[in-house]
Amino acid sequence: MTVIEARDVVLSFGETPALRGAHLAVAEGELLAIMGPSGSGKSTLLHCLAGILVPDAGEIHFEGRRVDRLGETERSSLRRDKFGFVFQFGQLVPELSAQENVALPLLLSGVRRAAAVAEARTWFGRLGLDGLEERRSGELSGGQAQRVALARGLVARPRVLFADEPTGALDSLTGEHVMDLLVSAAREQGTTVVLVTHEARVAAYADREVVVRDGKVHSLTAGVTA
Amino acid sequence: MIRFGLRLTLAGGREAAVRLVVIALAVALGVGMLLIALTGLNGVTSQNDRYGWANSADVPGAERGVDPLWWQLRVDGFDSRTVGRVDLAATGPNSPVPPGLPRLPGPGEYFASPELVKLIAATPAAELADRFPGRRLAGTIGPVALPAPDSLVAVVGYTPAELSQRAGVSRVGTIATTAPTLCPNGCWRGIPAAGLQLVLSVVAAALIFPLFILIGTATRLAATRREQRFAAMRLVGATPAQVSVVAAVESTVSALAGTVLGFALFFGFRGVFAAIPLTGAPMFPADLALDPATFLGVALGVPLIAALAARLALRRVRISPLGVTRRVTPRPPRAWRLIPLALGLAELAYFVGRRPQTTNGQILAFLPGIFVIMIGLIVAGPWLTMAGSRLVARRADRPAALIAARRLADNPRAGFRSVSGLVLALFVTSVAVGVMGSIAAGQQTPSRDPGVATLFTLFRDEEAAPTGDPVPAALITQPGVRGSAVTRIPPESVPVPKSPAGTFGWPYLLASCDEIARLPDVIQCAPGARTAWVWPDLSGPDDRTGPWPAADVDPALLPTFRVQSIVTLTDGSTAALETARTTLQLAHPMLYSPYSDVEFRADTARVFEGWKRLANVVILASLAIAGCSLAVSIAGGLSERKRPFSMLRLTGVSLGTLRRVVLLESVTPLVIAAVVALGAGLVAAHLFLTAQMHLSLSPPAISFYVIVVGGLAASLAVIASTMPLLRRITGPEAARNE
Repeated sequence: MTVIEARDVVLSFGETPALRGAHLAVAEGELLAIMGPSGSGKSTLLHCLAGILVPDAGEIHFEGRRVDRLGETERSSLRRDKFGFVFQFGQLVPELSAQENVALPLLLSGVRRAAAVAEARTWFGRLGLDGLEERRSGELSGGQAQRVALARGLVARPRVLFADEPTGALDSLTGEHVMDLLVSAAREQGTTVVLVTHEARVAAYADREVVVRDGKVHSLTAGVTA
Repeated sequence: MIRFGLRLTLAGGREAAVRLVVIALAVALGVGMLLIALTGLNGVTSQNDRYGWANSADVPGAERGVDPLWWQLRVDGFDSRTVGRVDLAATGPNSPVPPGLPRLPGPGEYFASPELVKLIAATPAAELADRFPGRRLAGTIGPVALPAPDSLVAVVGYTPAELSQRAGVSRVGTIATTAPTLCPNGCWRGIPAAGLQLVLSVVAAALIFPLFILIGTATRLAATRREQRFAAMRLVGATPAQVSVVAAVESTVSALAGTVLGFALFFGFRGVFAAIPLTGAPMFPADLALDPATFLGVALGVPLIAALAARLALRRVRISPLGVTRRVTPRPPRAWRLIPLALGLAELAYFVGRRPQTTNGQILAFLPGIFVIMIGLIVAGPWLTMAGSRLVARRADRPAALIAARRLADNPRAGFRSVSGLVLALFVTSVAVGVMGSIAAGQQTPSRDPGVATLFTLFRDEEAAPTGDPVPAALITQPGVRGSAVTRIPPESVPVPKSPAGTFGWPYLLASCDEIARLPDVIQCAPGARTAWVWPDLSGPDDRTGPWPAADVDPALLPTFRVQSIVTLTDGSTAALETARTTLQLAHPMLYSPYSDVEFRADTARVFEGWKRLANVVILASLAIAGCSLAVSIAGGLSERKRPFSMLRLTGVSLGTLRRVVLLESVTPLVIAAVVALGAGLVAAHLFLTAQMHLSLSPPAISFYVIVVGGLAASLAVIASTMPLLRRITGPEAARNE
């Protein structure tokens, strides 16, 4: 069953076209990797799917709702309640401790602080972060920070996790470790994952891979996706 | 490297240009206001010195010189305004000529200030022009002899034979050029310069701190981005020294541009500020003169301070080729930071009951105390911020409060810095309003019937005071004059009984009860009395009660005693008052012309209005400067947190939550420190009032709360004004393009 879908999406930044009629459907529980060279439009496609950007033309559907027709406030609330995010870097709030960063999505959803922090702490053991709960982002290594970000992306049990180059700033060994954790945690929760990467090694974790080239989505096995 | 720094500053793109403009504007505002305050000190002296020539007779040795003038200073009045008048007579061709005159007025001539000329032309002769009987206007007096552009001044010519016979005349061979420090025989002058200089020194101090904070805040603007650029320079081989040179060039160029603009602002608005009658009278724009020390001090000092502020900011970071790292996590502030604040208050408390006698001594006593309290507030602010934010963090249940409290607790110095200007402004406000409000409360006099005004002619020189009937016959028949009574000095053979009469001693003059009975508005004699012991104005102190006590003196003897005062009751109209004054001063040409109780109150009110205006200028200026600091600081803080805030918005954090974070980050330290600043301000005001004026602090009036709430509301508006920036810099494009 399709959980999120882009239909004939077109988006330009000024005179520069980024997406030129992109189609993509992601099934529930699927782990999809979007690949492509730099500037191909893969991050733009992820941002459209996540409701961060609104396409110039075309449609974005999430569980039957037209995301592209929602206002900024509704899209924000959709991102907060239904989606999780892991980016390459710079996503932790530097003033908060690691556990407060993880608890942030729950706090934003109205969960009481004590309950949110308690829930957040359960992720530290699962992601090998025991003992780092009180550390600030500046006191964490790149891999540790990315695992905290992963916990934050999944703590609210989102329907879809969007990961944009989640290992881009990590060495290969740490990157593999983070990907192992991401895949196992997502599978465990049944969370759909849309992963943007330019590394084949990372894409190999996915159930399916597509490539964005010249603003269109190509299946690695069946040409341009329908 | 200097040329490279200049290129980066002047052609470094939009961000560099914005930075340059903001710093330059902040410095310009600071320089402009500082120059106004400092030249204001010179202005007070210049204005006071222009009273000097009229008081030449009071200078010891004034009679020395060739052909000394016969000279009598007279302080006259018209409709609650003072008229300075000098009656003079030349004794030879080489008699000195007062400033502002092309020549001496001959007998039958007078020179008048332009404002007096206009007033004479617009007023019935009996009320003003008749005070110069049979004299023609010979010309106008130049500005060099006028304390203010709107001063009423006259120089009237007499023959030596006419003037030399008058009581109270002197010989003047040398015209004074500065205001006398002492006036043993009475003189004409404005607000004592020394006292006003004390106030202006406090004003300058009150403005300097918020200005330095504004300059410091502005130089830190976009510091992170600048530091990243320096790191990139280090990567390609620049040495730390070269990076320092570039940083210094950037700051100095902005500060120099600001200083030049500040001088332009000063000269552009000098006339506007000079027209504000802070001393009770406006100044000439040229009074706000720049002396070389002020010019050099500001022109060199301000850019130097700006460059130092930038250098200090750079010292806190280590710029390596691989990026920028903070040297250390700032250590949390300690409780010792409260000590300077307590010391400042203790210093003011020390002088309660130990007020220095001289103005310089008072400046040295009170100014350091105010300074130390202001420094104390700045030093204590971070500790108060940390204590408050920790409390909020412990109790926070919502993300906005948690993020704001954590950020404040992490770096309370930075959190407090953005509101420090406002905290000082609130301190200044509470001191100014506390002091002014309490003085005002002490000056309230019982309201009188507006249909009555008493004209009071006092014979200060007892030896020259007349006996007999001193009341001009024409006075009683003039329209609007209700009656007149005379008080007289008892001879030594009549002892003065110490009858209680309120807090200011006892009645010590004699008056006829028949005359008093003709003046229904004054205190009457005890029943059956024919002669009474009275006060010179027949009213006595405000807290006096009961009738004038009877004196055992035959009223028929009274005309043989010397006159102390003539009390004339009028209907309160300007025409009646001024016509009566003309008649009385023609009959009795003395140093001080007859004056009315209405004028006395108006004069006191005018001086007080001047102080209030000064206080308002300080409050508004410091609040405005603080508002600028707050806006610059918040805008700078937002642009430095562009990345984490954009990321939060991408993940669904609403703009409202981010707005609350920004708001709480400012409001938390502001509220905590404001409470302390207001408290410290009121305590400082109380200590100053007690030590200097033997007054207690009156509970602040509603205007105080209006100013405080207005100031806080304005600061919220300033914070709100930065919110569109928050939306713009945290949009999806920001995260993509970083």
